Amino acid sequence: MAAGHTEKDSANQKLQFAPFCSALEAGFWHQLTQKKLNDYRLDESPKSIKGYYYNGDPAGLPTRLTLEFSAFDATGPTPARCCPALGTLYNMNTFEAFKSCDKKALLEKEANEIWEAVRSEKVLEDPSLLSKFLLLTFADLKKYHFYYWFCFPALCFTEGIQVVEQPVTLEEKFSPKQIAALQVSYDALCSDIGTTAIPYFLVKYTEEAVLVSPLKDWDTFFQGQKKVTVAVYDPCTLSQHPGWPLRNLLVLIATKWGSAVDAVEVLCFRDQTLQGKRSILHSIMLQIRLPELSQTAGCPKSVGWEKNQKGAMGPRMVNLSECMDPKRLAESSVDLNLKLMRWRLVPSLDLDKVVSTRCLLLGAGTLGCNVARTLMGWGVRHITFVDNAKISYSNPVRQPLYEFEDCLSGGKPKALAAVDRLKKIFPGVVAEGHNMSIPMPGHPVNFSGATMEQARRDVEQLESLISAHDVVFLLMDTRESRWLPTVIAASQRKLVVNAALGFDTFVVMRHGLKKPKHTESGGSTPSSASSTPASGSASDSASASSSSTPAGSALVPGSSLFSNIPGHRLGCYFCNDVVAPGDSTRDRTLDQQCTVSRPGLAMIAGALAVELMVSILQHPEGGYAIASSSDDRMNEPPTSLGLAPHQIRGFLSRFDNVLPASLAFDKCTACSPIVLENYERDGFQFLSKVFNSSHSFLEDLTGLTLLHQETQAAECQARNYLTIRPQPNLANPVGYWPRECIEKYKYISALVQLVRLYGSLVFPRGVSAL
Amino acid sequence: MMSGERAEGAEGCFLDEETFRRCCDHFLQRSQALHDGWSWEQVKGTEEGYMKKTVLGTGRVNISTAQDGHPRAGEVMDAVGDQGQVDDLGDEDTPVPAEGSSVIRFEYHVLYSCSYQTPVLYFRASTLDGRPLSLEDVWDQVHPNYRQRLLQGPWDTITQQEHPLIGQPFFFLHPCRTADFMRPLLQVAHAENRKLNYIVSWLSVVGPVVGLDVPLTYCEPLGSPALPLWHLTDHCLTLPPAGAWQTLHSKGCLNPTAFDHHLISFSFTWM
Ligand SMILES: [Zn+2]
Repeated sequence: MAAGHTEKDSANQKLQFAPFCSALEAGFWHQLTQKKLNDYRLDESPKSIKGYYYNGDPAGLPTRLTLEFSAFDATGPTPARCCPALGTLYNMNTFEAFKSCDKKALLEKEANEIWEAVRSEKVLEDPSLLSKFLLLTFADLKKYHFYYWFCFPALCFTEGIQVVEQPVTLEEKFSPKQIAALQVSYDALCSDIGTTAIPYFLVKYTEEAVLVSPLKDWDTFFQGQKKVTVAVYDPCTLSQHPGWPLRNLLVLIATKWGSAVDAVEVLCFRDQTLQGKRSILHSIMLQIRLPELSQTAGCPKSVGWEKNQKGAMGPRMVNLSECMDPKRLAESSVDLNLKLMRWRLVPSLDLDKVVSTRCLLLGAGTLGCNVARTLMGWGVRHITFVDNAKISYSNPVRQPLYEFEDCLSGGKPKALAAVDRLKKIFPGVVAEGHNMSIPMPGHPVNFSGATMEQARRDVEQLESLISAHDVVFLLMDTRESRWLPTVIAASQRKLVVNAALGFDTFVVMRHGLKKPKHTESGGSTPSSASSTPASGSASDSASASSSSTPAGSALVPGSSLFSNIPGHRLGCYFCNDVVAPGDSTRDRTLDQQCTVSRPGLAMIAGALAVELMVSILQHPEGGYAIASSSDDRMNEPPTSLGLAPHQIRGFLSRFDNVLPASLAFDKCTACSPIVLENYERDGFQFLSKVFNSSHSFLEDLTGLTLLHQETQAAECQARNYLTIRPQPNLANPVGYWPRECIEKYKYISALVQLVRLYGSLVFPRGVSAL
Repeated sequence: MMSGERAEGAEGCFLDEETFRRCCDHFLQRSQALHDGWSWEQVKGTEEGYMKKTVLGTGRVNISTAQDGHPRAGEVMDAVGDQGQVDDLGDEDTPVPAEGSSVIRFEYHVLYSCSYQTPVLYFRASTLDGRPLSLEDVWDQVHPNYRQRLLQGPWDTITQQEHPLIGQPFFFLHPCRTADFMRPLLQVAHAENRKLNYIVSWLSVVGPVVGLDVPLTYCEPLGSPALPLWHLTDHCLTLPPAGAWQTLHSKGCLNPTAFDHHLISFSFTWM
């Protein structure tokens, strides 16, 4: 464009001005919101505001009028070396009012005021009256959308302004001496006036000296000169064009002194400091001829409404929900925290995998509450609770999603109250709650047609819930209630994370994830209890040779019974049991021993359950990941977050955790092939038999009954054996166990005896690492 | 006069509020002389305040990406613009449309943190319509060559936080590492018996990480003779002067790995 001008005959050229571009500091909208809420409310009357412009921008930046959050303090200070611009704010109450507001009339009203100021010579005392602006706004504080339209009123010469000579830079026009003199004179005028920027001033120069003076001293300063030089503090950075503030000045000059001067030279004063170096060399000089403008004629035509981002005449809108809507702010802050964690671990941490995981929490008690909170910490958005209990007075102190109020009048259902609280903690969560019970083995449902029907519906709902989620957390306080979801999730190939508490011990484990149904082959069936641990291990992985036991020799300390068990061969919660769930008189196991745990235990176990899930999700094979053991603590971790264990067993009394891994048991009452086959073939018919029968039904079905008989004798011998040998203890356990013992009594039964002797804890893998 | 005088051991890394104010006063005097744009912002009706600087640059990202799922300004506005009221107010006297959509405005605030007894840096970037950029948008502005280095630097200590004095969301460089890099600086200054303005030294380390340039000329009247920070390579820091980086960068020969320090400073291509 500039090049085009230079080729034209300069006599035909009209001066063009770079319009102001509105520039708003983020804080401006925050402050407008505060003003609207606290001061203006429904008041639409015009308000005085204040902006500023600057003449020190590097090339390439648009000519701006800036409004900061301090804009509402019209009498406040202006930033150093900036010129103030006074404005009028019209904040409308409705979008309709904003739209229908008569923009033309607003502009004309403002233009008239400028015209009056020009005629009355008030501008000579206060030149900032020439650079006023209008701001029309509508703040949609429900959506945090702000509609706005700026107007920078400029009075026009009908026929334009003629350019006499091409603009040149100050460097081309002035000698270094003159430039230095101008700078000194300008600074001196600033300090005389007591300011750091002067919007308009007058200039006189010779080869030797440059003088400057305020606008109001025109007559005495120029003393009838026919050719005058006026300077404008110019916010524009274009080399061929002045910025907007010159427009109204030229109107003033034409009106007041137009008949007295022949030619006007304009200094567009630009004053930049880069890297500590100040320069005014790039200021430009214009030679123009002003048309006459009669004072007695009416106000000239005016322009000034700002174009929008599309270059059309229209308002702008800015959506600030992300930084003002508390809900969005919470979401972005949570996301940011997690992203920062990812950036630190870049690029391996796959956060999306975690955040998008849909989690089903069966149980909304101490474990459920803590699991939910840790999931929220990881940014998990989709959390569903299932529980049938109501909140009781003892709950809130241990269950961090509930409060005293929730216990009143019988107590709120936990599943629903938990959802409410999650949404209060973080409105971005997608949470739902189901107040329902889970049918259990040995807890008959066949009292009536209605109870059968209810059980059928509960089963169906549980099936569809499990199907709609990616990870199932078993967090109930009874053993039996874990059976049905274990079976359904195993059948649906869903990752199950299980947590159970004793008084000061806990287990957190992932259930083995069966191979996808269509690829399942004969070789993938869970290992038989009759196979020796050594052979089972060796057949799993050829690379496990170092940890497999040489045949016939005793297990040496540090060797492992099981190494490198792939995810599909890992056991479930019931795999280590030799009795079916449902029997509450025999063999109280972990979650039945005691209903009271040390209070910190649920938090530890709940947190570990989630962290286990996250680590498994980060593993490229997910639930099929080979189980890490305590032995792997020194090795290269399989995921960016570390190990992917099968189980974490914790002993709070010793403040210690071990990482056992165990194989799926082919006689397991929950995940063995025969149970899954029956469930998948007969569905509810099979399940109802389990609910309605005693534990012997499942034990007969899986072959456990037979195993019991075989191991009766073994148990006695194992007891004897254990008393003969140096008494094994936690620090010196199976490592010294002779191989014959394991072979003779079969692996599983030996461990079962250990469980009985040591209080219901099975740690076939972890102990070798102790 | 400056905090460097009491640089001794770990305590020397900390700054009391009075010294902070003194350092700021001095810094602001220098800024005024250098026209560097820093100002003191007093919070109305309180004794509290902070140092502030605004920097403009042109971005190279599509700024509207952060508004996914929300109406874009232009689309919503069509209906309003077609009222006919102002269509005839067009103006032939404008040379070029003033388009500010690619301009990004950076605000830097330096505050005193009582709990850490150090200065802290708050910043935000926004478009000219006042919409703040997400940290990811800001991150997108970082030249890919530098990202990896920055990851190991103080980027991991950036969080989103409400500005304690004005209550608006800002990004915040957590001061937990401040002592780590200030300690050797102050020790060297102490050993060489040089005076050091804590704010100048601190800001010249943390500023470049978020695109804030602190000209070396800030050091000049303080040191005797003037020793720029990057002369302290033997001791701990490899901080070339900002100008040197820009020169190297413009010549296309800047290889971040050549400067082996976790606080390697540059950074933003728009600067
Ligand atoms: Zn099982």
